[in-house]
Amino acid sequence: MARIDDIPEPTRSAVLALPCPPFADQPFLAGPPLSQRRVAIISSAALHPRGTPPFPAGTPEVRMLPADLPAASLLMSHISINFDRTGFQRDINTAYPIDRLRELAAEGVIGGVAATHYAVMGSTDPRTMAATADQIAGQLRQERIDAVLLTPV
Amino acid sequence: MSALAHMIESRGVPSVAIGLVRPHLEATRAPRSLFVPFQLGRPLGEPGDAAFQRRVLLHALGLLERRDGPVILEDFAEDAPNERDTPGWQPPFALPAPPPSAGLPAALAAAIAHLGPWWDRAQARFGRTTVGLCGLPPEAWPGYAAPFLDGALPAAPSAFSPALTLRYLADDLKAFCMEAVQAEGPAASSRQINAWFWNATAAGRMLLALRRVAQASEEKGLQTIARFLVPVPWLPADHQ
Repeated sequence: MARIDDIPEPTRSAVLALPCPPFADQPFLAGPPLSQRRVAIISSAALHPRGTPPFPAGTPEVRMLPADLPAASLLMSHISINFDRTGFQRDINTAYPIDRLRELAAEGVIGGVAATHYAVMGSTDPRTMAATADQIAGQLRQERIDAVLLTPV
Repeated sequence: MSALAHMIESRGVPSVAIGLVRPHLEATRAPRSLFVPFQLGRPLGEPGDAAFQRRVLLHALGLLERRDGPVILEDFAEDAPNERDTPGWQPPFALPAPPPSAGLPAALAAAIAHLGPWWDRAQARFGRTTVGLCGLPPEAWPGYAAPFLDGALPAAPSAFSPALTLRYLADDLKAFCMEAVQAEGPAASSRQINAWFWNATAAGRMLLALRRVAQASEEKGLQTIARFLVPVPWLPADHQ
């Protein structure tokens, strides 16, 4: 359904026009087996705890989401109105698969679930997000996380 | 997201990105990415289907154990099974017809009052609501939105500007109605839910009217939020 030709105009052109900067480097890090990795989620759905301000348009900021934040405390304030929200309304895991990660950790498929997860505003130009990447990476290293799963909307 | 994956891996943490737009994955050349052919907004594909979500997740996480990079880009082989319309789906309730002389705010107030118990059922069914951005309770939404139709800018209830409050109110109104219509019965497709909302509800008509007013306004904030009230595919021909 989200194959690019299936997305109606003008959403298709807007999506394709989102900045995708080239990078000079090409990192590719090894790591332990999946069963030993602790995994964090980075969502671009502009998720934030209920009672905190919505994401401003175009912001490069990151919001940290404690892993034990109840699903009922999570809101979505992404500026775009061109993606489906009904799936997220029914099931938080449609966009933020925290329960699935917990299940994989309980089964030993992954080594664990991070104590902190992350949300950004997906339509923000990545070229403005270097400091945000520094901030996220710093927190990941502090928590000794060795895998991140990025989920878009 | 694939660009951010690249940036995080450059800073020392292995990453895997799920992607809904394959050209983005091809352009950013993230270390590891999985293209999923689902509708925008559903990177795990299928609400309420843990087994399907698990297959997506296992495929993505499995890329972390590969050694044949840099740049692994794979395609998830399955479509989400319930993206198509559900045959025969109907809302679990009939909306009351507003009095012929009632204006849009009154019609919206009647609809919100009618949908309230269904929204409560939806919260019981799904364990939560995604309503809560604008800082006003549902029963206050018609009264806050009405002055905009007359060209006025009501005082905002919080630190947000009136225009931004209206934008968040629009998000809340859509969530309120779309959650309520999912309170019972089989899952409808997102297209069916949107068709009901934009074609058959006072809430949809109100947002269309507010968009028109915001577009014509000389207030810059309203002009800006006009683009974030109604998805273009759901604009009637006389609104485009």
